[in-house]
Order: sequence, then C-alpha cells, then structure tokens
Amino acid sequence: MALPERAQVQEILRGMWITFRSMFEKPVTIQYPEVKRRIHTRFRGRHVLNRYENGLEKCIGCSLCAAACPADAIFVESAENTDEERYSPGERYASTYEINMLRCIFCGYCEDACPTQAITLEDNYELSFTSRRDAIYTKERLLVPVPEGGKPTPQKVEPGVFTRAVPEMADPTD
Amino acid sequence: MNKLAERYPEEIQAILAKYPPEHKRSAVMPLLYLAQREGGYVSKHDIADIAEICGITTSEVASLIGFYTLYHDEPAGKIRIQVCNDLPCALRGADDFLKELCDALGIQPGETTPDGLITVEAVMCLAACDKAPMFQTQTGEGLQYHENMTVEKTLALIESWREKEAAQ
Amino acid sequence: MTREVTLTIDGKQVTVPAGTVIVDAARKAGIDIPVFCYHPKMEPVGMCRMCLVEVGRPMRDRATGEPILEEDGSPKIQFGPKLETACTVPVSEGMVVVGLSEKVQAARKDILEFLLTSHPLDCPICDKGGECPLQDLTMAYGPSESRFIYDEKMHLEKHVPLGDLIYLDRERCIQCARCIRFQDEIAGDAVLEFYHRGRHTDVITNSEPGFDSYWSGNTTDICPVGALTTADFRFGARPWELKNAASICTHCPVGCNLTYNTRREAKSGGNVVIKRAMPRQNEEVNELWICDKGRFAYHFAESEERLTQPLVRKNGELTPVDWDEALTLIASQFRNAGERLLTLVGGRLPNEDLFNLKQLTEGLGGKVALHTYMGGGEYVVRHGLSAGSNLGDLGAGDTVMVIASDLEEEAPLWYLRLKQAAERGAKLIVANPRPTKLERYAGEVVRYTYGQELSIFDDLKAKVAGATNLVIFFGSEGLGLAGSKALAAACADLFVSSGHENTKPNNGLVGVWPAANTQGAWELGFTAGADLGAASLLYIVAADPVSDDTAAAEAIQNADFTVVQDLFLSETAALADVVLPAQAQVEREGTFVSGERRLQRFYPIVTAPGQTRPDFDIAAAIGEKLDIELKGRFPSLVFPQICAQVPAFAGLTYQKLAEVHPQWPLVDRSDRYYGGTSYGNQQGLGVHLQAAEAREIPAAPTAPALPEAEIIAVPVTTLYDHGRMVAASPVLQPRLRKPFIRLHPADAQKLKTTDGMTVGLAVDGGPVAPVLVIEDPAVPQGFALVARSMGVPIHQPATFEIRIAETSMA
Repeated sequence: MALPERAQVQEILRGMWITFRSMFEKPVTIQYPEVKRRIHTRFRGRHVLNRYENGLEKCIGCSLCAAACPADAIFVESAENTDEERYSPGERYASTYEINMLRCIFCGYCEDACPTQAITLEDNYELSFTSRRDAIYTKERLLVPVPEGGKPTPQKVEPGVFTRAVPEMADPTD
Repeated sequence: MNKLAERYPEEIQAILAKYPPEHKRSAVMPLLYLAQREGGYVSKHDIADIAEICGITTSEVASLIGFYTLYHDEPAGKIRIQVCNDLPCALRGADDFLKELCDALGIQPGETTPDGLITVEAVMCLAACDKAPMFQTQTGEGLQYHENMTVEKTLALIESWREKEAAQ
Repeated sequence: MTREVTLTIDGKQVTVPAGTVIVDAARKAGIDIPVFCYHPKMEPVGMCRMCLVEVGRPMRDRATGEPILEEDGSPKIQFGPKLETACTVPVSEGMVVVGLSEKVQAARKDILEFLLTSHPLDCPICDKGGECPLQDLTMAYGPSESRFIYDEKMHLEKHVPLGDLIYLDRERCIQCARCIRFQDEIAGDAVLEFYHRGRHTDVITNSEPGFDSYWSGNTTDICPVGALTTADFRFGARPWELKNAASICTHCPVGCNLTYNTRREAKSGGNVVIKRAMPRQNEEVNELWICDKGRFAYHFAESEERLTQPLVRKNGELTPVDWDEALTLIASQFRNAGERLLTLVGGRLPNEDLFNLKQLTEGLGGKVALHTYMGGGEYVVRHGLSAGSNLGDLGAGDTVMVIASDLEEEAPLWYLRLKQAAERGAKLIVANPRPTKLERYAGEVVRYTYGQELSIFDDLKAKVAGATNLVIFFGSEGLGLAGSKALAAACADLFVSSGHENTKPNNGLVGVWPAANTQGAWELGFTAGADLGAASLLYIVAADPVSDDTAAAEAIQNADFTVVQDLFLSETAALADVVLPAQAQVEREGTFVSGERRLQRFYPIVTAPGQTRPDFDIAAAIGEKLDIELKGRFPSLVFPQICAQVPAFAGLTYQKLAEVHPQWPLVDRSDRYYGGTSYGNQQGLGVHLQAAEAREIPAAPTAPALPEAEIIAVPVTTLYDHGRMVAASPVLQPRLRKPFIRLHPADAQKLKTTDGMTVGLAVDGGPVAPVLVIEDPAVPQGFALVARSMGVPIHQPATFEIRIAETSMA
C-alpha cells in the first residue's frame, strides 16, 4: 500500500478541522417541543375565525373564502341573524363553518377573499389528528376565545344597532 | 262595508258621474280629497273603500297618496309646512332652513309641535326652485306657496297662525 | 305578415320585424345592450337609463323626401344630439345604432355610478350576489371608484317582509319597477306599487295579506338586484355553490318546467338537498314563470315522516322487514289473483310506473283503476290538444273556454296564459256558477247553477261557432266523478258539432286535473270509478282513498290482502297488510303528460332516503317473483315499451323529449340582466302525444242529479290546500287558509251561523270537522262551497250538516 499523497493528507486534515471547529459552534437543532422556533410575520399557520371586541363574530357566512379556496377545503352554510340571537353584525352569519385541514394547502387565499377579515392564518402549525373526521375543523374549533369585556355568541342585542354586515371595518355599529 | 260610500253618498255619485263608467279609476284623486276632507288624512279603511269604489287595488291607492304631497295617510298638525329639499332647493339652503326651522320649533322633520298646530315635513319637488328655500301649506284657504323664506319669517308666520287659532 | 326592418347595430346588419325595440333587435343579433328595467316580457318604461345608445337615422331632403347620400353613395346618417334609450325606441329602416362609442361607455359608467350612490356594500351577504345584474354590469361597464361619500349613503330598512313569502331590502332597490310591472301587467294583481318620490321612492304592498299573489316568487327572479328575496331561500346558499337539475313541477297538470338548485347541507347530514326551485324556460308551457306553489311546495320529499323501509303487518302491527320478505309475501298472495285483484293508482305517478303497474296487474288477470274524483279523461284522450298546439299562439279569431274551473286556484300558469290569450284578442268565455278572477279578462261570462252544467251547451254552441281555433278547459268545480265526466262528454260533443277537431293544432279539450300526470293515466288506458269493495286483493299505489272516503276504509278492512305503496304512512297505508316505501318524483326519473298532452321528462335531483324504490321498479320486482317479465331498474327501459304499445306514444323517444329549439326571448344565465335568473332550457321542451283519431268515443253518460237538500255542499279547489304535498312546506304555512264553508249571507242566516264563526261540518254523514264560516254574496244561494283536501272529505255535491253546539265561537 502506497503512502497517501500530500494533497490527500491536506484534504483529510481540512475535513477534520471543520469537524473540530464545529465542536465549538452553537448547535442549530432545538429541543422541540420544549423549545420553539421563531415564527415569521407572514407565516401561514392554522386559520382562526376572529371576533369583534364585543364578542360578535366577524364571519358573516358569505362563502367567499370557500369560493376562493383552490383546494375546496372550506364549507360554509349561513343563516339569518336576529337581534334576539345575534352572531355577527348584519343579517347573515355562518351557521356551519368547516375547514378540512387535510385538504388545505395554507395558501391564504381565504384570508384575501374575506371582506371582514374574519378568517386569518395564524401561528399555529401544530396540527395533528388521528382520524380524517378530526381533520375537519368546525366553527367552534376555529373561533377565537371571546375577548375580555365581550360576550359569547349568540348575543341578545339592542334592535337596529348592528345592521351592517360589512362594517367600515373598525366599528361594527357603523 | 264601504263606510266612505255611506258617509258621502251624494258626493261620491257626483264624482263618479264625471267619468265614464269603464274608467272609474279616474275618480281616485277627487275621492282621496273627499276622504281627507274632514280628518286631514286618508285612513287605511278609506284606502280600502276607495279601492273598492274605483275597482283598483289598495296598493295603487296608497301609491298615489305617497306620490302626491297633498295627500296624507297619517294624521298630523292642523297646518303642514312642506319644505322642498330636492337638489336645487338644497343648493339654495333648503336643507339648512329645514333643520333650523325644526330646531326652532323643537321638533324633528315629520313631527308635530306639541300644541298640534304645525307639522314640518320634507317633500319632493314643488316646482319653485328659483325661490328656495320655500314651502307649501295647506290651510282652509287652500294651497299656499311661501317662497324665499327664512326661519325668522316662518316663525313670524307661525306666530300669526297661532294667534288666529287662539282667537277662534 | 309584419314588415321587416333592416338596421345596423355596432356595424352589424340586423333584420327584425317592425316594432321591435333596439334592445331586442340587438339581442337577436347577439349584441348585448345592458338593461335593468327592461324585460322582454313587459312593456318598456325607460326608467333606468342603462340602455342609452347613440341612434342615427338616414337623413332625408326636406323638400323632396329623398335620402341624402354621402359622397361614396351611402346614405348620410344623422345622429341625435343626445343618447336614446334602446329599450323604448323601435327600430326603423336604415337606423344606425352605436353602443360601443366612448360617449355611450361614459353614459353607462355614469348611470352605474348614480345607481351605486346609495347601494349598500352587501354583495358578500346578498342572496343575489353572484347572479346579480347590478354586480355583473358594474364589473363590465361601471366605474371602479365612487365619488360619493360613504357616510352620505341613505340608510333604509333592510328587512321589510312584503307578506310571508317575499322580503324587501329597501337599500338595495334601484327602482326599476320590474316587480311592480310584473304584478300589474303579467300577473294582473297590482299589489305592488311605488310610494313617495325621488330618493325616497320605495316599493310597498297594501294588500291583505301582504303581497297577495300566487306569482310573487317570479318578482325575485326578475329583480335585477337583491332587493327582493324569498323567505325560502334567504341566505340559503351562494348561487355559485348550487348545482342545477331539470325537472317538471308535480303540483298541477300544467307541467311547468323547473330547475332545482341543490347543495350539500350540514343539517341534512351532508346529503344533497333542494335549496330552491327556479323556472326553466318553456315558451309553450310556462314561459319564464312558475307559481308560488311550484316554487315553495317542494319540501314534502324531505319530510322526516317518509317511509324508508317495507312494512308487513305482524300480529296486528306494521313491522319493518326487508324487501325480499315483503315481496315474497306479496307474490304469494297475488299468485293466481285473477279478477280478485284491483290496482288503484294516483295521478301523480309517472307514465313508466303506471305502465308497469298496469302490465303487472293485467298479467295477473286483475283490473287497474285511477283514483280520482274528476272524470272525463276518455274524452280528453280523444279530443285533447295535439302536436303544434301552444296556448301562446292563441289570439284574435280564436276562442278559449273555461268551464267549471277556477283556474287561478287550480292551475295558476294556465290562468296567466289564458289572460294573455285574451289580451292578444282571443275570445275568452268563462262559465262558472260563481264569479272567478279570470272573468276580468273574459269576453263573455256564462253563469249557471251548480248541477246545471249541461244546460248551457246549446248556448255555447252558438258562442263558439266560427272560431278559428277552439280550446276548452273543463274542471270539476262543484262536480264529482260522474258530473265531470258528463261535462267532458258535452265538451267533446261541442268539438264534434262545431267542427274543431284536434287534427288541427290548438283545437282540443284540456282537463284541469287534480294531479300532475292524471292525463298520462288516461292516455295509458286507466279508468276511474272502481269499486274497492268488489276486490279482495288491493294494490294501492300513490293514492290515499281512505282520507276522503269512509267506504274505502271499510273496503280495505274487508279485503283479504292490501298492499299500499306510498311516500308516507297515509291513512290508507295504516290499514294495509304490506306497506312499500316509494321514491318521490325528485328522487328518480320519468315522464309526465301535462293537461295539454305534452309529454315531458324529469330527472333525478336528490338521492332517495333509506330503502325506498321507484314504483315502476317495485312493480317489476313483484312481477319477477310471479314470472311476469317487466323492466325495472331504469325508466329508459320501460319507456320504449310504452311507445311500442300505446298508440298515443307511438314514435316517441327520450331523444325527442330532449329536443330544444331557440326560444324567444333568448334567455340563459350568462346575461341575467335581460331575462332574470330563470334558467334557459337545454334539457328538452317535450312533445305532444299523438292525436288519437281512431279511438272510439264512449257514449255520453247521464249527468247525476243533485242531492235533495235546501242547501247543498259543493266541492271547490284552493291552491294552497292542506294536502301533505303543500302543508309540508314551512314557508307556505302562513298562507294556508283555515278549512272553510263559504255561504251566501242569506243561507248563513238560515243555518244560524255568522261570518267568522267556527262550526262543526259533516258532509254526507261523514266525520265532523271544524270549519270557518265565510259569508260571501258571490256564492249562489242554495249552495255551500267546501274546499277539497282541507280536512273535510268532499268529492261531489253532497248534503251536509252544521253543528254549532259542538264548537265554540271563534
């Protein structure tokens, strides 16, 4: 067996050096799930259905998200609000709202289509389910908790206050 | 039962006689005047009665009341001040005039003063755009146009009506 | 022949009849001129100004009247200084219309900006969103921005019920008056009107109940915005999510073409359900319209009470079993049945089912019969309308007669069609014992007394003499089976004596039957008036004789074995030995024959519940057990057999039923601003059955005498009856009238009742039911009107008894 060429030794040493050097570097692996990575601002995680400050749902059941969805993952059914049983401002609310997370490709078109910013893709990427049925997120699972000071839906409200389905965004009584 | 026909049998006959029998619907306008002659407005029952007399639907009768400013389907004050606030009048300040007049009387447009004398209403075109702000009133003396009005002039006018009313 | 006019629209030469307005001429040439208020079925009003175009006419020399020519020899065109509304201007020779110029585009943009000044930002929640002319035209021609301030939008009421069926959103209304004009011009019920002026203009109804019309749903189709919505579909789904399927309405013999819109629904467990019924254009049947019953009463098939599996009586109880057990039991009983077997069918069964049931029964040696209280089909089969007939063609010189029928209540679309025929100049003769609404349009009204129908025919002979075409509609107002049969025979006689044979189109007798396919049953050779008591084996399909005849209950109890096949556990089914679950019309395919003898095909819309099977398939399954070969599985296998065996169906195929030809107005859903949201017809216009010349005319029966009594109860029909097919519809509930007895005030006094009182009513010694007394001077004295299918069994003139003590005052 012939002795290694000089060049070969050099290469081996260089490789060893990289190995040696990285022993002193900060590791890139993190201890998930104890430790979690930073989420970028435009990250598109699981959807939520938002509420106004008073607790009313922003979703008005217009189905535009379902129409925009390229994966046909969203199913919406709507019904009529009354002042005795009000879910959202205006006349219409989503009586059924389902997203099939197995179909969803997290493109965010639903968020774009939404006229009331009711649906937004948030930080949560930890989706796991053990059956196909569980992969269908219902309205109850998607709705954010009632904010402090707000009331859960359906609410009994003063007649004639929440007449606009697509409010001037900020104030639902407009 | 047709109460209007019972109340004014002769007048109705006289009105109907003016039109050919196959065009009884033409009688609807004079009949509306007849119906509101006493109460100052046409009641729901009167509308049904007129519809029956003229052979048209109650909706058609109600529509006429809505179209013309001189027919009323709700009771109001003895004198109606009907301010035109269509676009040309509004450009000449009719909107502000209406608001200030109402403020001065302490009522909203469409409401009646507490003494039941004056009702202020906004109406559509009265064909006197050049003399706006203007309004029309309907009193016992017939229809009157009050043109180039100001709130002061109007209040003075109202005061004179009040005095006349008190004197009676 | 009308004069033809040639004009140029956007550089395209168009030749149309004189009198056509520019919009229609453009439409024929495939050029779209946007409109909101114009509708091809109504008089133009030019209210919305959307159709503004540049119109030029050839210049003429004032002195000589000669056309002035350009240098190149073409006529010199002078354009008006202003734009003109294309919907109100009739075409003229040499006219030049420009719809693509910048001036026109700018006008359209401005009109839309004005229309949108106060239009709410409702598109995401609006029921019309997605099929909205305002939305579509704004996208096509409108401005991308509004110069008006959002805060200055008018805020008006958004939830105004115009009656129980239609809701108005005042903010969305653009005051095109299409709804008002529809009600006034087409329906003839001017119950909608404008109120106020200018920006405050809104649509009102003052009728009692609100929007009191049987055609109210059509206004939502032609509304070019989402101002009018139906209580049934409000927020039901977005239009783009709906699938559509063609069908035929099953509520009356008119046979209106429908399109059902369907969608999966969470509350129905993810099943596909019908979300709404829409008209499908068939200018020879229903044009672009349907009545409210057809639009809102489709809910019966969704009922929870539907039968879903076969039931067999075991130890006195109806117990669920599987199909094989039920069929085996039936086969064992029906084997060698012979004359003991009677098969009784209802008029809502499609032809394929009727045919299979007849083959099965006759194969076993039994008899078939149609369950109906209106007879005379034998005569309609011989004298009914034939190929080429179209009520829309009737006009000056023609005569249409309506005898013993209140068409508005019994067949609303025929009412509209005859109203139009009268308006086109046809002579409309209405013969009825009491005034009906159709008389408004009648050229002549013939009044007779109940029971004296035949006495008027000498008079009628003179009235119809000389008519170019003659169509007679006969009904069963105040008549039972025998009475209506005698009436039909007299009508048939009239056709023969006046020489209006049905070999010529638009000549014929039309029965205003109680069910959708009664005519089909007559055509297939069914007869009415069977005696249930004479049979010991009963096979009752889609009929509920027990609910209106106590004798039927007795007959079933006395029979050895009864099979009932239906959608619901009806009163008849409850007495049966075997109950078989059938499929509703919307769950399967088949064909119906309309009263005008038009054969039309319908398609499956939704999936059938449980183990239900279509009636023809059940018949075939029973046949299989009894070695009678019948086609099950598909109606398309049965239909050729019908065509081969029944002369009236000779030569017909499903392909022929599916044929369409271009219809005017050209309507399809790509340009909803023109014709509304009704569907175009791609699935077939149907065909007329063959005229049955060779068939023998049965001898005219004698008319039955009226019962002896001071006041006689006579049956009448109301559109919204209490039958299961209507009452199952939640939106129609408020419109259902209370069961009533309608009396002349003098008769009411004799019976010691007053208007508005609730009394017990027993007809012909039958069960006592509470009814409302209505005093009506229009009712002839000596007769009391009692509605069919409203809780009081009545099917012919009868004696009755009023019991006041039993019920309290209302």
